[in-house]
Amino acid sequence: MENTYVVLHGLKDLRLETKPIPPLADDDVLVRIKKVGLCGTDLSMVYKGRTGDLQVQYPTGVGHEVSAVVSQCGKNVTHVKTGDRVTVEPGSFCRQCDLCLAGKYNVCAKSSFHSDVALYPGCLARYFKYKAHLIHKLPDSVSDEEGAIVEPLAVAVHACRRAEVSAGCSMLVTGAGPIGLLCLVTAKAFGATNILVTDIKDSRLAMAKRMGADHTLLVTSGDAQSQAQQVQQIMGYQPDITMECSGTKEGLSLGIYATKSRGKLVQVGLSAPEVTVPLVHAGVREIDIIGVYRYLNCYPIAINLLAKKLVDVKPLITHRFNFEEFQKAFDMFYSAEDGAIKCMISC
Amino acid sequence: MDNTIVALHGVNDLRVEYLPVPEVDRDEVLIRVTKVGLCGSDLCAVYKGTHGDLRIGLPCGLGHEAAGVVTKCGQDVTHVKPGDRVTIEPGTFCRTCELCLTGKHNVCANSSFHGSPRFYPGCLARYYKHKALFVFRLPDSISDEEGAVVEPLAVAVHACRRAEVWAGCRMLVTGAGPIGLLCLSVAKALGATNILITDIKDSRLAMAKRMGADHTLLVTSEDTQCQVQQVQQIMGCQPDITMECSGTKAGLSLGIYVTKSGGKLVQVGVGAPEVTVPLGVYRYVNCFPIAIDLLAKKLVDVKPLITHRFNFEEFQKAFDMFRSAEDGAIKCMISKFTIANIRCSKDFTSHHDNPMVRLFK
Repeated sequence: MENTYVVLHGLKDLRLETKPIPPLADDDVLVRIKKVGLCGTDLSMVYKGRTGDLQVQYPTGVGHEVSAVVSQCGKNVTHVKTGDRVTVEPGSFCRQCDLCLAGKYNVCAKSSFHSDVALYPGCLARYFKYKAHLIHKLPDSVSDEEGAIVEPLAVAVHACRRAEVSAGCSMLVTGAGPIGLLCLVTAKAFGATNILVTDIKDSRLAMAKRMGADHTLLVTSGDAQSQAQQVQQIMGYQPDITMECSGTKEGLSLGIYATKSRGKLVQVGLSAPEVTVPLVHAGVREIDIIGVYRYLNCYPIAINLLAKKLVDVKPLITHRFNFEEFQKAFDMFYSAEDGAIKCMISC
Repeated sequence: MDNTIVALHGVNDLRVEYLPVPEVDRDEVLIRVTKVGLCGSDLCAVYKGTHGDLRIGLPCGLGHEAAGVVTKCGQDVTHVKPGDRVTIEPGTFCRTCELCLTGKHNVCANSSFHGSPRFYPGCLARYYKHKALFVFRLPDSISDEEGAVVEPLAVAVHACRRAEVWAGCRMLVTGAGPIGLLCLSVAKALGATNILITDIKDSRLAMAKRMGADHTLLVTSEDTQCQVQQVQQIMGCQPDITMECSGTKAGLSLGIYVTKSGGKLVQVGVGAPEVTVPLGVYRYVNCFPIAIDLLAKKLVDVKPLITHRFNFEEFQKAFDMFRSAEDGAIKCMISKFTIANIRCSKDFTSHHDNPMVRLFK
């Protein structure tokens, strides 16, 4: 059997390739990909050649937000079978180091997301082969497109768990891109009751309002300190938690000034390798800066939130493309024209 | 009897002033100060006019690391009496806001250390009055000088509690100034078993070794990645916790790169308003009893830190020497005038109805 998939060979150099599918190990599953969503990290890889502070090693696959149908199972696989609708939790990990054994597998030093920036081949493919324990079943109440949003939703779930979001807490979300919007809806599902979302674009704030933000604030002018005062004025007090989802120095600085003392600033967005921020201000007000890396035992929670309709992610899917139109999908997402938030590719 | 105090009137403008001895309210204690230690934040106040990223309100008193003897108590004060040797936990706070009520009074927005810091008069004075709630009796086994180191020791205790230091953890301390050295001592008392301390000066690393550091590393190059390799090589692992005690970008960067994933970087040192980093512990809360207990039980030894001693009249010289860090100065201790001591014939070992004292029984 042959697989056709997209490979990144250099900056902006995406190519379609076809190769035979290797045989399955006893604990592998082969899935036929249905939908792939594009992510900011994919953009960074393709257009900048890095993600966070890691350089891309070429050639590499792309695509990691997927829904699929099981095509074949290895001998020892019991929890899914051919025909099951599933999603994939990308990023393998060693399951033996002290981090894995302590339940922190997302930061395992040997994980494939650390050593190589992306999976190869990636999920932007017809078929994808992966370890069974990272394949999660989708219930009927979750559509294929929603299934392809489980991955970024799991990022938001992990961020909210790291932040210890709970009933009644107040939150600032800096950046209303897909991750900021998913943090918004997840925080509401976790019980947060006063959420303000900021962005530099009105259209994104309109989407945030639509998805349930209590308040929005356009942050095109003013310095971080004056913006922080506006946040406090609009919300009525300083937020307990800031989810920094813009990956910018401005977002981090706003979070540092706006968050309540002894509150938390969760660094969800990936910033430039070095940023200039008022770190001492966070220090003297004991604002804890919490890093977030992907997800940790969050897939079942994310799937459940979708199945029970506790979050609605469908408004995020703004553009749809066929497999062959992958270049157009990337370019549109990169240019963010036409209000593109989540571009979905059918494989 | 007059109160002679030192006040800061502008950058490097220290003046002796004469005020009346303060009257105490029902819930206050008047203390005849015997020892005052100088702190890095005192240097910032005097030579830069700042406290963290805030400007100091002037005029301002100085000195917050103090020990003394109680001379007068307000009517409602029961846990100390005249003649008792005490230390104080500085800083007022409102006790009514949500932060205070949830046990986070160290970051109360209404506290005298936040907003526009202004502390007048300070402990660098003959007499100092303070809310009894934050006056702590010193057991006999703690000297006056050790009593004046309780405050920075409490900073180290708070940092280690925030970091959740545990027995067997591995720790990097960046910066071997007084705070770094105290974090080292407290971490050992809490059971940390593999501690590496860095500094840009050999003499400070020698002191760190003397105070029990397992390893030291001189960090002279600007090359963070090279330092990361060295730390891992020397410790045999990545540290679980980094206590950043230098207040520098280099220290923060090293901590960010070398700390193990899932670990903690604790920002103890107070640095520049903005810092460029590859992506704060503020004072202490409920840590004074712990700090006093550690000293009383000899679980930490802070005496080596006290390198220089001055009389009250020599305050300018004390500040200048500390600032220049000449002669390996770590903790400069100022003593009060020896005339007009209040003597008391009471027996200091008698039991007092103070929950803090019960710790020592």
